[in-house]
Amino acid sequence: MATEPMIRIEADRDPEFAAWFTGLVGEEKLRECIHCGVCSGSCPLASHMDLGPRKLMYLAREGWADDVLGSNTIWLCTSCYACTVACPQQIPVTDVMYALKRKAIEAGKAPKRHPVAVMAKQFSRMVHRRGRMSEAYLIAGLALRSGVHRYVGMLPMGVNAVRTGRISLKLDRIRRRKELTALLDRVEREREEVAAS
Amino acid sequence: MREPNGTPRIGVYVCHCGTNIASTVDVAAVRDAAESLPGVVLSRDYKYMCSDPGQELIKHDIAEFGLERVVVASCSPCLHEETFRGAVGEGGINPYFFQMVNIREHDSWVHRDIAAATAKANDLIRAAVRRVRFHEPLEPRRVPIDPRVMVVGGGIAGIHAALTLANAGKQVYLVEREPSIGGHMAMFDKTFPTLDCAACILTPKMTQVRAHPNIQIMTMSEVEEVSGFVGDYRVRVKHHPRFVIEDACVGCLECIDACVFRNGKTPDEFNLGLSKRKPIYIPFPQAVPQVVVIDPEACIEFRAGCRKKTCVEVCAERNAIDFQQEVTYDEVTVGAIILATGFQAFEASRLPQYGYGRLDAVYTALEVERLVNASGPTEGSIVLRDGSTPTSIGIIHCIGSRDKNTNEYCSRVCCMYSLKLAHLLKEKTDAEIYEFYIDMRTPGKGFEEFYNRVEEEGVHFIRGKVADVYPEAGNTGRVVLQAEDTLAGMVRKIPVDMVVLATGLEPQPDAEDVRRTFNITCGSGGFFTERHPKLAPVSTFTDGVFLAGACQGPKDIPDTVAQAGAAAAEALALIDAGHIELEPNTAFVVEERCSGCRTCVGMCPFSAISIVDGKAVINEVLCKGCGTCVAACPSGAIRQNLFEDEEIFEEILGVLTHV
Repeated sequence: MATEPMIRIEADRDPEFAAWFTGLVGEEKLRECIHCGVCSGSCPLASHMDLGPRKLMYLAREGWADDVLGSNTIWLCTSCYACTVACPQQIPVTDVMYALKRKAIEAGKAPKRHPVAVMAKQFSRMVHRRGRMSEAYLIAGLALRSGVHRYVGMLPMGVNAVRTGRISLKLDRIRRRKELTALLDRVEREREEVAAS
Repeated sequence: MREPNGTPRIGVYVCHCGTNIASTVDVAAVRDAAESLPGVVLSRDYKYMCSDPGQELIKHDIAEFGLERVVVASCSPCLHEETFRGAVGEGGINPYFFQMVNIREHDSWVHRDIAAATAKANDLIRAAVRRVRFHEPLEPRRVPIDPRVMVVGGGIAGIHAALTLANAGKQVYLVEREPSIGGHMAMFDKTFPTLDCAACILTPKMTQVRAHPNIQIMTMSEVEEVSGFVGDYRVRVKHHPRFVIEDACVGCLECIDACVFRNGKTPDEFNLGLSKRKPIYIPFPQAVPQVVVIDPEACIEFRAGCRKKTCVEVCAERNAIDFQQEVTYDEVTVGAIILATGFQAFEASRLPQYGYGRLDAVYTALEVERLVNASGPTEGSIVLRDGSTPTSIGIIHCIGSRDKNTNEYCSRVCCMYSLKLAHLLKEKTDAEIYEFYIDMRTPGKGFEEFYNRVEEEGVHFIRGKVADVYPEAGNTGRVVLQAEDTLAGMVRKIPVDMVVLATGLEPQPDAEDVRRTFNITCGSGGFFTERHPKLAPVSTFTDGVFLAGACQGPKDIPDTVAQAGAAAAEALALIDAGHIELEPNTAFVVEERCSGCRTCVGMCPFSAISIVDGKAVINEVLCKGCGTCVAACPSGAIRQNLFEDEEIFEEILGVLTHV
């Protein structure tokens, strides 16, 4: 049986990551976590998570950046908000998940071809460019970028959805797209400026 | 404006308060700056002015240097004004030839910039030095004190306070709104950590209260209105009808047997609805007073008229039943009041995820106290609502505590009573018991030892808050508790037959009304606020009103009794003196300037002003020195001791001199 060292030394910790994370608006509450575990207890997907929300948030606030950004927990979160509602310290757990997803993508730590990460990216790109969601194209993009084999079994359901009008094949867009794109670019720029300061 | 009385010789003392002041204010610089102020003949700094040597310094300097006025720059006057006035008085000059400057709470504690904090201290001292020149000699007011005391609330806190005072020979009115005294403690089974039975230790005290010649119990009564002031409170008490004449009833309980209702139909309040009672009932066997009570909501005499009136028939000899009783009022005068109004248990249905009121298997801790109690609805055997005996039980801590969605504070007693219930349930059922806790809080004499004992008994301790309680699939009647076992790092689902919710302690639902009636304050959690958390824990900001027990904050029985004893001792010290000295900061009328316009009469919040022969007259005993009339008087005819115009203007000028 192979053994790996279980002891972590302080030099492995990334205090800057911790400072960045607890400095986000709303995330300062993370310091108030009393580790009751009600977030992990109420999470419908905790059974498939490597860390679960409680451990994830603890590792994040203490600066164990690699463990946090490499965990599957952030990608399995479905934003059902059960944890946020139940938290006795009113920590916005779901917002934590989003912040970490973003950071993982930026740091290049998002799992390659992971459907959740790909979906998020496709979604924001489509909104950014067209101002509207066209499900057929979103699904197509998702399938191409995360592996078509995953979706073969769902094909009959997809065909039914198109036939009954649940999914439109039309490529939608809004008028004055440039204004929206400018708006979103501006938000992104400001966010980067804030992050840089 | 008047001129100062000559040029009095002033001494200034700057306190370091250890490092509390000295770390933010340059006290040596402040001392030097004060020395150069007009009238100041001496300026000193000292580590602790409130200490005996500090006070001696003032007394010595008054004699040695002929000081006529003293200024001390230290902490809040709330803390040490009395101390320094005493020292000034003992030094041989009028105690009111003194002014205190707060350079701690108002300066060093709220600032970081040393230069700015030092400048602020200089400004404040300059203001005090300029004002103190105008101080007049004053005498404290003396008012007599009524030696009687009212205790509001007849739980263990009220009982203990009333007995302590009564044993000291004082007359006590004990007001309780329920039909019997005893409070929550009477409902408990055993008490942690010693496991002595609550009834065995409480009922002897209840009996003593009943028999004590100095205690008058007023049950089914509430305080409606309080007027007056310390030493002379007038309290209006409302008595709800019991429909039984207390003096006539001997507690034979024959009327209950005779009632036309063969079985009880009304949920029994004392058993929290786990059993039923008749319309005529006694709350519990050891109730004090031993007098039955009729529930007009349930008794058919009040709805349609009872043809038989079997209760009246069987009581013919004593004739104690009186359907005509109505609400009555009493007005009593007391010198001091002790509030011991207790708590209410958190309403568990407010957290729907725990299923209380929806799932039969879920109980509150107080209900389980009744279930395990030999005089409870099941005579002490653990029988669930479906008639079965549990083989597995989950106890969930922190229900309505340590949760910003309900109550942020820790209720202090739940960990220990949960451990106690785990022990009792284990003993009675030998079930598997799971305790879900966030942190185990057992700080008390013998508490940790008790925790160890329960651990040894094989109770499972799971560190994690239950997130969900739901029925087990397949209609088993069991429920599943889902929680993260944070020590093991995994989510667990544990099916149990019975769930006990360790509900927290909350202020009484009408605590806000009580607060207003007695003119005291509530903290953020809604509990009554003590005057000082360390140094005046049973006093309130209203003189002569004291606090005891859980109305001041969640606490267990030993702490409640200790606090009740302390409140009784404080009340005793107050009333035993026979009189009290009040601050002479009262307002007075300059008669020749008063036009009799009555503006002040309506403004006075203490009804201290009346018009006699066309001029306003202020009752010194009632005046609290708020200054409202002084500011309101259109002809400037009202002045106030210690707040004369010159004193206030000089103070303002002193602060603004350098601006």
